[in-house]
Amino acid sequence: MSILTKPTDSGLVEPLPVGTPQKSTWQRYRWILWVVVLGAALAFPYVVDRPRFWIPNIGIKSLWLGTIAMSLVFLNRYVGLLSLAQMTLAGIAAYGVGYMVVTLDQSVFLAVPVGILVGTVAGFLVALIAARTKAIYFLMITLAIGQVVYSFASQSIEVTNARRGLAPIPRPDLGVVDFAQLHIFYYGALAAAVLCYLLCRYVAATSFGLALQGIRDSPERMSALGYNVNRYRIAAMTFTAFIASIGGVIMVFDRAQVDPDVVSLSSTLDILVVAVIGGVGSLGGVFVGGIVLTLLDNFAQNVTERYMTLTGLVFIVVLLFAPTGLAGVGKQVVRALSTRRRAPQAPTAPDVPTPPGITDPSNERKQQ
Amino acid sequence: MTDVALRVADVSKHFGGLKAMRNVDLEIADGERISVIGTNGAGKSTLFNLIAGVFPVTSGRIELFGHDVTGLSTAKRAKRGLARTFQTSRLFEQLTAAENVFVALGGSEFRGASLRVAWPSSKHVNTVNRWSRVERLLDRVGLGDKGSAIVADLSHGEQRQLELAMALALQPKLLMLDEPAAGFSPAERIHLVRLLRELPEEITLLLIEHDMDIALAVANRVVVMHDGEKILEGSPADIRASERVREIYLGGSLDDVA
Repeated sequence: MSILTKPTDSGLVEPLPVGTPQKSTWQRYRWILWVVVLGAALAFPYVVDRPRFWIPNIGIKSLWLGTIAMSLVFLNRYVGLLSLAQMTLAGIAAYGVGYMVVTLDQSVFLAVPVGILVGTVAGFLVALIAARTKAIYFLMITLAIGQVVYSFASQSIEVTNARRGLAPIPRPDLGVVDFAQLHIFYYGALAAAVLCYLLCRYVAATSFGLALQGIRDSPERMSALGYNVNRYRIAAMTFTAFIASIGGVIMVFDRAQVDPDVVSLSSTLDILVVAVIGGVGSLGGVFVGGIVLTLLDNFAQNVTERYMTLTGLVFIVVLLFAPTGLAGVGKQVVRALSTRRRAPQAPTAPDVPTPPGITDPSNERKQQ
Repeated sequence: MTDVALRVADVSKHFGGLKAMRNVDLEIADGERISVIGTNGAGKSTLFNLIAGVFPVTSGRIELFGHDVTGLSTAKRAKRGLARTFQTSRLFEQLTAAENVFVALGGSEFRGASLRVAWPSSKHVNTVNRWSRVERLLDRVGLGDKGSAIVADLSHGEQRQLELAMALALQPKLLMLDEPAAGFSPAERIHLVRLLRELPEEITLLLIEHDMDIALAVANRVVVMHDGEKILEGSPADIRASERVREIYLGGSLDDVA
């Protein structure tokens, strides 16, 4: 009996393909949210009162913070690894661009691909070392690698120009698009961030992505099924290094320079804070996290001198009251609204709440 | 004569000072159905894990279908036709039952690393074939209507059925089941025994089982382990009649459980 023939038996024909999880209300109406968010993001440069302040400090910075944090969230959500090296990899990509532009005096057309390549290859090398470990050991190794890169960056005169860093790295005028103009650069960054998001979603939906989720849930079983777990982890980490590198490239042109600060521990923690505030389970939530952090950075000083303390407090409040981050809160709100809307529509007993034991189809996908 | 599916030759396993298994020999012919029984701590699970390649042997040699696999990884043994289930459920909890089997299929005949979307609505021929295989495997273990349920929402019994579907997804030549009936209701036990008896004849079965009824009902040869050693081997009837098994394993009469 051939296993590759088309099934002809009765009983195999179903209205819904067998693996399709039932869509929750949240998933069905998610596109409305995306239209609103994208609309707001597109209108942003024209509705703010001081564009020269808002576009770089809030807009562009949120986008690269979010993109780098998204690479961390992808690894955490789909592979079950918490990596503290993502900012370091973005920083390495930024240094790649800086070295090409400042030291070697190359054009950005070459510098950007080289930067992304350097960051991605660095991610591959980190993966070779770290992929064998997991949980706290993985966290410590990625942290340690970040510290090694930081000391190198702040001490090497020839490559990174030590503490002074590499400058200037001006935003390029590419002829067709002039990134030197702030709002054009903003839209470029927005497009890159959206593409990174879509790419992450795509990879997660492939059979490679499903295998990664298998590794997240049960690496032992994946080996028993014949998967080389390490190889998959390495591939996933290399992919996220690529995403982080794109964030790093946006960052380097936003800052117009690169110095050891970008690979410092505090930058690494910024990424972690962005991911947690946005929601470590949500790829899109990271941008909300980015906006919150940049707003705190810029405005908390007006309220208190201890703005770092305020950032820390926000972090703690989110952890305590919304462990799934602001994206998780959003989902809960949508779900609450949709259940309230649906309850009166129940055909048989309008005012009677759903009896226990009957599960709401919108809860089909287990949260968290 | 039939070929040898599995040969365990003089295998021992020590965990520090603990001698979990001492000089065990075992030979299983192609297509045989073997149950390994024994009390807790008899070394059943150790034997199982050594064959699966979870940890290395202290001494001895393990052959799968005539090849020495003593030093091979779990994944490489799986590629040689060995599939196993897990005693404690280690399913992919956040995926649907169907997605679990879909991933399981990637370990063998379908390349798991494809960068094509894995949606069931996909039109690509490989993906379509893979999903239809998923459907047939789920049907076979009696989970045909549970494909779109998240694993965490399945009952214990259903999860064990899914375990079996995933092991069968590998199209194993040697299938090892680790206490498949643990935590089962009587009705689920009957269903399981029927399922195991219906397995294709070419599949060699190695069953580790605490439950005597299932072990004897499914096997044509039974191996009894005690205290890290193989103490007895014979047909289900021999084992049922054995005074020694009665003493060691049950501490009483077999009729009490039969």
